[in-house]
Amino acid sequence: MGEILLFLRRNTLALVGLIILLVLVGIISVGPWLTQYSPTKLDILHKLAAPSLEHWLGTDAFGRDVLTRIMYGGRATLAIGLGVVAIAFAVGVSVGMLAGFAGGWVDALVMRVVDAILAFPALVLAIALAAAFGPSLQNAMLAVAITLAPQFARVARSQALSISVKPYVEAAVSLGLPAHRILIFYVFVNGLGPLLVQSTLALGSAILQTASLGFLGLGAQPPLPEWGADVSANLQYVRSAAWVALAPGMAILLAVLSFNLIGDSLADWFNPRRRSEID
Amino acid sequence: MASFLIRRLIALIPVMLIVLVIVFSLVRIIPGDPATTLLGPGATQQQIEALRTQLNLNEPVVLQFYHYVMGLLTGNFGYSLKTGQPVAVEILNRLPATIELSVLATILAIVVGIPIGVLSATRPNSLFDHLTRVISLLGVSMPAFLLALVLQLVFANYLGWLPVSGRLSPYLQIQSVTGFVILDGLLTGNLPGAVDALQHLLLPTAVLAAFLAATLGRFVRNTMLDVMGEDFIRTAKAKGLRRRDVVLTHGLRNSLLPAVTVIGLKFAEMLGGAILTETIFAWPGIGRYMFEAIKNRDYPVIQGTTLVFALLFVLTSILVDVLYSILDPRVRRKMG
Repeated sequence: MGEILLFLRRNTLALVGLIILLVLVGIISVGPWLTQYSPTKLDILHKLAAPSLEHWLGTDAFGRDVLTRIMYGGRATLAIGLGVVAIAFAVGVSVGMLAGFAGGWVDALVMRVVDAILAFPALVLAIALAAAFGPSLQNAMLAVAITLAPQFARVARSQALSISVKPYVEAAVSLGLPAHRILIFYVFVNGLGPLLVQSTLALGSAILQTASLGFLGLGAQPPLPEWGADVSANLQYVRSAAWVALAPGMAILLAVLSFNLIGDSLADWFNPRRRSEID
Repeated sequence: MASFLIRRLIALIPVMLIVLVIVFSLVRIIPGDPATTLLGPGATQQQIEALRTQLNLNEPVVLQFYHYVMGLLTGNFGYSLKTGQPVAVEILNRLPATIELSVLATILAIVVGIPIGVLSATRPNSLFDHLTRVISLLGVSMPAFLLALVLQLVFANYLGWLPVSGRLSPYLQIQSVTGFVILDGLLTGNLPGAVDALQHLLLPTAVLAAFLAATLGRFVRNTMLDVMGEDFIRTAKAKGLRRRDVVLTHGLRNSLLPAVTVIGLKFAEMLGGAILTETIFAWPGIGRYMFEAIKNRDYPVIQGTTLVFALLFVLTSILVDVLYSILDPRVRRKMG
């Protein structure tokens, strides 16, 4: 806890990121109880109303309150980000750790597959996979997770490589501990730091990419509120009623920015060369 | 150099094979029978059978893959389900537009990003440094479609300075020589056409360049700070060189090398971003072609464009390696 407070005191930007994130999470979790509007119920009489006291961010083409949709959509978007990173982390880290720890042909095979996935621009592969799986939120999440997993595999592998030659691992091996125990309790636990930094940064790109898929119509399907899909659904009204598309877009920007502010400072914090410069 | 290139290309073979397997599988992972799904609900049994034969779906998977790869090697990327046109031809027609856009965006990003990085590194922890850090984090956090929308609203709708979308105003015509509109305009002496094309290019270029410029500025700042702590910088200062010479000829030169790698890698990511940018600005490149293919569930086109994006990426990475060895004699010697 002391370490966290020290980190936040030294890194104003990380603190700003954390505050933005907490405010967003607060609005998203409490907001839906306070609003009297439904995110999906149509109200054609009040369509495309400008921001006012009743509708702080105006209404969209179906008369739905934009703020309410952002609050519900934020639940979807943040859950998506966490879900995608969780899948990418689980798959990437287990495969990468195994490759680095086992070495030999396992390592060679895993790294070729990782190289091949990294040979695609991430968004292109995510779009192609999501298109093949069929347009739905689950499939979009899976597609983005597949493109993020190799980054985790790379970091995990290099962690495993450098940790598995440490004396305490050699001691564990000579004590005759089973390989899976060594892998989990020695290699994984000690290599966690950089992986957590990677996760924070990946959260930002996961949200950005899933929103992009939603924008292209490959993510959340209407009427489900989701930020990226909401921007794209309201594109045609942007010239007359800018708020309908810009408000969810700004929400994406804020969420991604908060993760990047925290992740960027964390990366500096864990980098000894940078850290001395901050001190 | 030649042997280095050859070894680099040989190392690519296993990776490219897996890339091909992934692209090949794209049509095969569609739930249900691919031919039925591809043709949609209105298809007759005869049409479905014809497509099955065309895609070699009645053969074992390994043979299907063999036919697919052999087809690619002879330039056969399949046929669009919507227009019936060969995918390879359609992609080649649209490639210049995408290259024009992304190359210009890369140049813009370099011109903006590197000086910002250098200035930040020479004044670490100054107000300027903090400001550029915040702006660059904003740049990488900004969804491309949001930036595009804001720029369109401000510069096209509100100020009316630039066109909203497209590649050329409909009343103008430019004779095609190379496929690059601005170049063609200049080559055929069509100056108004070239200027009009440039105006159309500005907004999409800015959107595409923003992400790269932000990343690059940050990256150059960090490498340069590392370099400025090296012994040879202290020697240069001790020799009594002017600060400008120390920063530019000693500091910047040694920081640019890693930046080449970042530019190469991000160039590829930018191609992915081009799908969004081209869609919003109605830019007739392969990104928009892919987007339309997704809307129409035109899988051969999705496969073709995905493969071309991957190929461009891989070619860029080879180019980066070659550039690297040209720029750094140490690397050249090691690579033989």
